[in-house]
Amino acid sequence: MKATKKYQLSKLERDERRLGFLLLAPAALLLAAVVVYPIAELLTNSLYSFRLTRPGYRFIGLENFTFALFEDDRFLHSVLNTAILIGVTVPGALVVGLGLALLANQPFTVKWPVRLGLLLPWALPLVFAGLIFRWFFDYRQGFVNWLIELAGLTPPQWLSDPRLAFVALCVAIVWKSSSFMALILLAGLQTIPKSLYEAAEVDGASRFQQFVEITLPMLKPAIVVALIFRTITAIQTFDIPYAMTNGGPGTATETMAMYIHKTTIDFLDLGYGSALATLMFLISIAATSIYLRHTRRDTGRG
Amino acid sequence: MSDVVLKNVVKAYGTTPVIHGVDLHIASGEFCVFVGPSGCGKSTLLRMVAGLEGITDGEISIGGVRVNDLPPRERDIAMVFQDYALYPHKTVFENMAFGLRLRKRPDAEIRRSVGDAAQILQIDHLLDRKPGQLSGGQRQRVAMGRAIVRNPRAFLFDEPLSNLDAQLRSEMRVEINKLHKRLRNTVIYVTHDQVEAMTLADKIVVLSAGRIMQVGTPDEIYNRPAAKFVAGFTGSPPMNFMPCTVGEGGGTIILDGDIRLPVPAARRAVCAAHAGRRLEFGIRPEHVFAEAAGNDVAEVPAQVQLVEPLGSDTLGLLRIGPGEITGRFAPEAALATGSAIRAGIAMNKFHLFAPETGDAIRGPGW
Repeated sequence: MKATKKYQLSKLERDERRLGFLLLAPAALLLAAVVVYPIAELLTNSLYSFRLTRPGYRFIGLENFTFALFEDDRFLHSVLNTAILIGVTVPGALVVGLGLALLANQPFTVKWPVRLGLLLPWALPLVFAGLIFRWFFDYRQGFVNWLIELAGLTPPQWLSDPRLAFVALCVAIVWKSSSFMALILLAGLQTIPKSLYEAAEVDGASRFQQFVEITLPMLKPAIVVALIFRTITAIQTFDIPYAMTNGGPGTATETMAMYIHKTTIDFLDLGYGSALATLMFLISIAATSIYLRHTRRDTGRG
Repeated sequence: MSDVVLKNVVKAYGTTPVIHGVDLHIASGEFCVFVGPSGCGKSTLLRMVAGLEGITDGEISIGGVRVNDLPPRERDIAMVFQDYALYPHKTVFENMAFGLRLRKRPDAEIRRSVGDAAQILQIDHLLDRKPGQLSGGQRQRVAMGRAIVRNPRAFLFDEPLSNLDAQLRSEMRVEINKLHKRLRNTVIYVTHDQVEAMTLADKIVVLSAGRIMQVGTPDEIYNRPAAKFVAGFTGSPPMNFMPCTVGEGGGTIILDGDIRLPVPAARRAVCAAHAGRRLEFGIRPEHVFAEAAGNDVAEVPAQVQLVEPLGSDTLGLLRIGPGEITGRFAPEAALATGSAIRAGIAMNKFHLFAPETGDAIRGPGW
């Protein structure tokens, strides 16, 4: 590309270019209105003391940020909770999703029940999934405790015990998100040519060796994409814990997004909420860029 | 001992049979080509030998071992696929080494085997590359290299050259031929290209609709086709066919338009047995001449419809009575489109086929 000479555009080309910009303008304006403006507003508010419970809109510099990072234990705790949820549910969903994708990729004669089973958790609204699992883990009427009682064991208080509440949350999130993983991985699986497996079979590879030597390396790009999407949405985890525990017991299962929500909507502290949201935004960008760098290096190798 | 024997091999998908009881013996070290049009079952048959397709009935043995129920990896075969099926994430070296690694061969032996194979195939400078960085011909060589490092009982080739351009294809054909002369392994090679079949094979198996039409050497297949299908499938351009009637006493063959061709004495007895019958007359383009000269050449009036100079020779489409035949002539033959000529037909080379069954009618020695 370096060798290409810069050349004068003809009138026709200039007109085309102008028309192109004109056609782009509505979309660009719309994006500016719904993306750029709110982000700018968020960044501005994060530098102010702006509480609806107290009058005044006062510039305080980075005070909101220093408070969040060095003094607000509740925020740091919510970051830790989110990190634990990501650390458990993203790999968990990958493993379960890979299993589901491999299952769905089998040559079933009737395909639709399998595909439907895959799609259903994905299509359910998050809050709905959260409610389902809240009932699932309910102390008295829950399915899980019913099974535990059947086995003759003492049923635990799932959602009132800080540790067990986390377990229940992880189960729900893995269930809900693994079908999305499975869909991406299934698409990836279906691009692997059948003849590769036949060649490996003739070469002497067992089923497991075929999985390790063919499926996993060929699926790597799809796995990376699935991990990126899943991690970014996991950073913003809100609905399922909101419906299942509402952050409880206490603030034991409160995530970053839930704390931001509480700060802004319940405590009406828009300045501090904006600062927290900005921090979450930065974390998302950091996570995305790590993955993107990884994929770029990978495709560069061919 | 690495002969491949098929006994009454049947393949059916559900109730639809696609291979109807194939019997075949491929001797150790033989280069056997399965040839036929698309959908004739040649690839299916090969994949059944490989173990990639199940067998509905019958028996397949490789090197005296019944392999019906053995998975591909236990059949001691290597296969070259139409799309090469190279592992895209592995280097050329690792592609070729994969089978040996799975068999837990020592590293030094793997390096030596891969190195030797790479040298034979002239890909030793590509060992560090990934398949994505190779040309079609190079990938083809890697696919063959992966097969030969394992030194299997039998090589199976599934249309290996069909993804290459014409020039590369003929180059690789020569390479494969040389390779077989050198290694002397048993080969089963599937193609729809009759040129590949003719040039490579020790034994050609012509298949049509899941049945073997003929098994023979290239010479037998070409010069003594057992059926009209075989005759029409080999040769380029293929054999000409015209309906005919056998004259009284077998002395003449009468083409439509009352064109009488005298039958040479050696062939009269067989023709006499079919006197008065409607048969299919077959003659190869190279046995049609632009002038009627020489022994046993019948003279027929013809009109030149079309001339196609190929350089090495010239094809001419001739109208003879109500029918048309193609002749292959010397390039210096003076043919002008539209002109009338006295064409010659080599009557010691014609073929006769029964129109109902397509079976060839021939006597000993022709």
